[in-house]
Amino acid sequence: MTQYLLDTVWLVPLYALLGGIMALPWSPGIIRRTGPRPAGYVNLVMTLLAFLHSSLALGIIWDEPAKKVVIPWLSTAGLNLAIELEISAISVAALVMVSGLNFLAQIYAVGYMEMDWGWGRFFSLLGLFEAGLCALALCDNLFFSYVVLEILTLGTYLLVGLWFSQPLVVTGARDAFLTKRVGDLFLLMGVLGIYPLAGTWNYSDLEAWAASSPSVNPFIISLVCFGLIAGPMGKCAQFPLHLWLDEAMEGPIPSTILRNSVVVASGAWVLIKLQPVFSLSPIASSVMVGIGAVTAVGASLIAIAQIDVKRCLSYSVSAYLGLVFIAVGTQQDEAALLLVLSNALSAGLLVMAVGGIVWNSITQNVTQLGGLWTRRPISGISYLVGAAGLIGLPPLAGFWAMLELGSNLWSTQPALVGVLIVVNGLTAFSLMREFCLIWGGKPKQMSERSPEVSWQMTLPMVIALGFVLHAPIILNNVHLLPSWVNLNQDVALLLIWSSIFGGSISAVIYLSDFIHKPIRLPLQPLQNLLAYDFYTPKLYKMSIVLGVDLLSRFADMLDRFVVDGIVNLVGLISIGGGEGLKYSNTGQTQFYALTVLMGVSLLGAIVTWQFWGDSFLDLMSGSVSMISMK
Amino acid sequence: MQLEYFLLLAAALFCIGIYGLITSRNAVRVLMSIELLLNAVNLNLMAFSNYLDSTAIKGQIFTVFVITVAAAEAAVGLAIVLAIYRNRDTVDMEQFNLLKW
Repeated sequence: MTQYLLDTVWLVPLYALLGGIMALPWSPGIIRRTGPRPAGYVNLVMTLLAFLHSSLALGIIWDEPAKKVVIPWLSTAGLNLAIELEISAISVAALVMVSGLNFLAQIYAVGYMEMDWGWGRFFSLLGLFEAGLCALALCDNLFFSYVVLEILTLGTYLLVGLWFSQPLVVTGARDAFLTKRVGDLFLLMGVLGIYPLAGTWNYSDLEAWAASSPSVNPFIISLVCFGLIAGPMGKCAQFPLHLWLDEAMEGPIPSTILRNSVVVASGAWVLIKLQPVFSLSPIASSVMVGIGAVTAVGASLIAIAQIDVKRCLSYSVSAYLGLVFIAVGTQQDEAALLLVLSNALSAGLLVMAVGGIVWNSITQNVTQLGGLWTRRPISGISYLVGAAGLIGLPPLAGFWAMLELGSNLWSTQPALVGVLIVVNGLTAFSLMREFCLIWGGKPKQMSERSPEVSWQMTLPMVIALGFVLHAPIILNNVHLLPSWVNLNQDVALLLIWSSIFGGSISAVIYLSDFIHKPIRLPLQPLQNLLAYDFYTPKLYKMSIVLGVDLLSRFADMLDRFVVDGIVNLVGLISIGGGEGLKYSNTGQTQFYALTVLMGVSLLGAIVTWQFWGDSFLDLMSGSVSMISMK
Repeated sequence: MQLEYFLLLAAALFCIGIYGLITSRNAVRVLMSIELLLNAVNLNLMAFSNYLDSTAIKGQIFTVFVITVAAAEAAVGLAIVLAIYRNRDTVDMEQFNLLKW
């Protein structure tokens, strides 16, 4: 039985997909009478099934070696595409996490989407996401990872665009699709570029190939690595492809839970799996570290300056995935995986806590909220624990992930430790700022009467809270936490101090009355720069969008006037020729006689042309001599 | 006296006829120019008959036919000119450009 469960664990993505398909009949156009709720329940059952199956399988596979499953897909001349799956402890653990978080997000959505009729569409897309993420977790082949990533990009477009009657949703979905698509297309270039080099797309074969230190042109491998980085760069909302995550916050909150925790991590997953390839190119690794560092610092600064609570959190997610980029760029898979895990749990919890506030207080503007601590304790505690799990506070998982990353970097790249400490401090500041603005202070008009949300939203919040709290214990029990003796105590101290400093400074600023609210920085342009996320929309509009727009207009004009014009010109010339040449029919008989004569003489000239040379001269000289003889 | 001179004379007469045919505004003068052309042809026929075929003189027979047909043609031509004149009160060739484009 247990072995059977393990052998069939590759069915887990199919459960979710089936759930997604089964939710569709409750779209309002198909089942018109009973309302959309069964769509959600069906999906919940399927997700629970997936969760239980993968959890049981995880228990079995924990001490076993990884298994490979190969499902043939397409075999043509010279190319054999098989869906290769890896069933290892880590991939099954990822299945557990994805299906578990999706289960929580779906229970949450049952409460949150109470007043919405679009359950069929919403839950089928959540099912599609779960299926895609599970397939990605199992997938042991770069090509099929790419396939799944593209399907997820389409899913993001549809899920962000759920409430498509809102104009900002439509633009947000558009940007989310195009930005991620650009990254994915670069990834495709990388995927296609690495096949002739390595001859395989299988991750373990790629790892073996990279370990054999093949002699490839460093320039070529750098370009391939850039392509492979660009995909996750768009997926993980890294600079400069980060705007979509900000605009994707227009989508419904339950999907945001999933997005902030796992969808953005899908890029990081591919990145981690490709880490051996990146180690071939030091330039690519340093570029990755650079992107990660810039994003981590920039996004955590932006998060401080936001007033939309969902956007504060989305920039924190960008910042944390920047840390994952740093970890992968410095060849630390373990730290990257720990970071992804801790970020997924904590970010999910944070979004759940905040979503509950938004559900009952309507506004997402943190400056209009306040004083909710006494009335919304569960959400408040959940938020605090989520924040503590995200930043470096000792017992929780985020601390261990950052500590491992920091202590590995301590001797080699101390500057990156500085980045880590700064990002940690800034994130602590921004998370504490949101907490103080929402739960601290005095109630404002929008939060005057704000009851705690119903059990459907509180239950997953509390379960996630439990997961965040238990994560370090679980990790310790399965010996995944780095052992204390190997770690650098200086980094630990710095992390703790930066968390405490960031949090407490923020608390002092926002809870005390010394400083007038809303806070104005002495440098107003700087505040605006951060609040408008470095004017990224304008940057896009001025660079890529402008360029593509001008080029398309130019191409359109070229097509419309030059290409079309040339063909039309042929017709026009024919018409003009006919119109002009008809005047040769003058109606004068004498003119016709002249043309006949000219035609005949021309023909005669042509026919006799060959005699016009010497013989004509002979004829002339002959007649001349004849005349002279007379 | 050589054949070429007759031929050259006939060619000159032909050219004069062509010139008159194309440039005359009077329809009767056009008919007259046609007569010049036919006479140039007759000269050719007579010259060839004399110098190249002096026994069978087929050219002279041709000439007789040409003169006969030219007379008939001139008669029909003048009838046409008269018919046009009755309709349009003019024999100016430049007025007869109704059948244009």
